[in-house]
Amino acid sequence: MAAYARPVEKLITELSKLPSIGPRSAQRIAFHIIRGKTDDAFGLAEALREVKEKIKPCRRCFNLTEQDECGICRDPGRDASVICVVEDPYDIGPIERTAEYRGLYHVLGGALSPLDGVEPEDLRIAELVERVKNEGTKELVVATNPNTTGEATAMYISREVEDFPVRVTALASGLPVGGDLEYADEVTLGRAFAGRREI
Amino acid sequence: MTPHVRALRMVNFRGYADETALFAPGLNIAVGENAQGKTNLLEAISFALTGSSPRTSTDAETVRWDEDFTRVEGRIALGSDDGERSVAVGYAPGQKKRLTVDGASAKSLADYAAGGAGARVVTFFPDDIRIVKGAPSDRREFLDTLLSSLRPSYARAVGEYAKAVQQRNQLLRRIRDGFSSGKTLETWDRKVVELGTRLLEGRAGAIPPLDENFKRSMRALYGPEKAAVGYSYSATPEDYSEALKNAHSADVERGTTSVGPHRDDFEVSLDGVDLNIYGSQGQQRLATLALKFAARDHVRSETGEDPILLMDDVMSELDERRRDYLAEYFLESAQAIVSTTNLEYFEEGVIGRARVIRIYGGTISDTTSGGAGESGVG
Ligand SMILES: Nc1ncnc2c1ncn2[C@@H]1O[C@H](COP(=O)(O)OP(=O)(O)O)[C@@H](O)[C@H]1O
Ligand SMILES: [Mg+2]
Ligand SMILES: [Zn+2]
Repeated sequence: MAAYARPVEKLITELSKLPSIGPRSAQRIAFHIIRGKTDDAFGLAEALREVKEKIKPCRRCFNLTEQDECGICRDPGRDASVICVVEDPYDIGPIERTAEYRGLYHVLGGALSPLDGVEPEDLRIAELVERVKNEGTKELVVATNPNTTGEATAMYISREVEDFPVRVTALASGLPVGGDLEYADEVTLGRAFAGRREI
Repeated sequence: MTPHVRALRMVNFRGYADETALFAPGLNIAVGENAQGKTNLLEAISFALTGSSPRTSTDAETVRWDEDFTRVEGRIALGSDDGERSVAVGYAPGQKKRLTVDGASAKSLADYAAGGAGARVVTFFPDDIRIVKGAPSDRREFLDTLLSSLRPSYARAVGEYAKAVQQRNQLLRRIRDGFSSGKTLETWDRKVVELGTRLLEGRAGAIPPLDENFKRSMRALYGPEKAAVGYSYSATPEDYSEALKNAHSADVERGTTSVGPHRDDFEVSLDGVDLNIYGSQGQQRLATLALKFAARDHVRSETGEDPILLMDDVMSELDERRRDYLAEYFLESAQAIVSTTNLEYFEEGVIGRARVIRIYGGTISDTTSGGAGESGVG
């Protein structure tokens, strides 16, 4: 038997599907919403709807955008001969904040991981190779996460593009090993960009 | 002075509800009947100084029954005049372990265990005889724990290598079962070799000094026979890549990685005889102890500081000559905490120079130091 009315239970269930929210936090957030202003709750619902209706992957780099191409790809001031390869769209934010990088991006959508059943076909690696071929890319900065799967992905990519006249670099070490780019601080990440090396 | 533990507080650790023990430099003797908490105390010291239990990989086992967390706090006198460091390890099942040094979160478990807590430990538990008597994995664990206590980068390489091998094994199975074309096998080979080579380098650097220290310890503990520790590779560093490649089809069939540091072993021998197979119980026990002393010497020469010795029930099963030798050895150590059921294993003169800690039913009765006049427990 459920402890709360059905709509309350439903809200708790939906919230507990979110990452790093356990049943207890889900309950706390649910009651916070129930107690709070109606406008705030509708605002949240509307934001969720809007993001699902309007946001899609950029057709060129797979960053998230409201248009066909994202703001970075459309920016004429960016250096289109350099592509920074990241695992997820949220890795772009920290790199942009370092203000060290003025090239374009490519979002893979994850990292190679046999344990999670992730093969090259499950990532946008073919699309990346296609871009290197067509865009005359001079440098690929592979900024996958500094952990086992991220580094294996970097190695694989460098092999896939070895027949093209493109320089493949990785961020300089100094990033916390085994970590996520998402959590690296700006100064460290900025330094890692400045000191990137060939792989 | 080299680092030593001054005090340890255990809250909900094994049988201890909330107990504090005080220690002195040099020899500390923890004495009590069976099942009173001697082993638990030594385990707690190790838990406080390394962040993990040397006896179990399941931290939840250390939480006192019917309690929902455990916490150990240590005060450590540092080498030279650097004063004191307060460390604490807190654990609640289902949550991340909390390690703090002087109130601030430790950088990582690897850093904490490799000197971050202020002192390193070398432990001996009776069950450690499996290092000599048991499987290759027991011997690898001994080496890896020792090397990890010296350098956090080695500990991290061990963790990353295990993950890479797991990934490669899963890939092999996916290839075997038709879920993967195997395009990335070469990539995972390279990753595995890159990380595995760091382990091989670390171990290759440690074996010669360990062998030398082991020879010396065995001469003192056992006799003039020629003792040796020798590493045996499943693939030498030079042939590693090639061997992994040659193993592709066999590895795919079995779904496991057949060469690399996770398949290596080292042999402990006496006059050329492998003690794993042919050693008597007594020889295996002394060889285990000699390996621990060799580890102590290695830590000393690598870090310039003596590790703290935690020796559980080490005196039983030894004859008097060896007990006397050990007592002297411990007295001359920066700090040794030694448990026993029987105080009579130590001579009066030794007890007079030691701190005696009495343990009864999970309580620690504070400690008559220099209790030279006292006889053994009844
Ligand atoms: N998690 C735990 N909670 C409570 N008691 C425990 C726990 N683990 C072990 N014990 C108790 O600790 C006692 C053994 O203590 P131990 O230190 O091994 O004794 P000894 O003095 O013989 O070395 C046993 O009585 C056991 O029941
Ligand atoms: Mg015991
Ligand atoms: Zn784009």
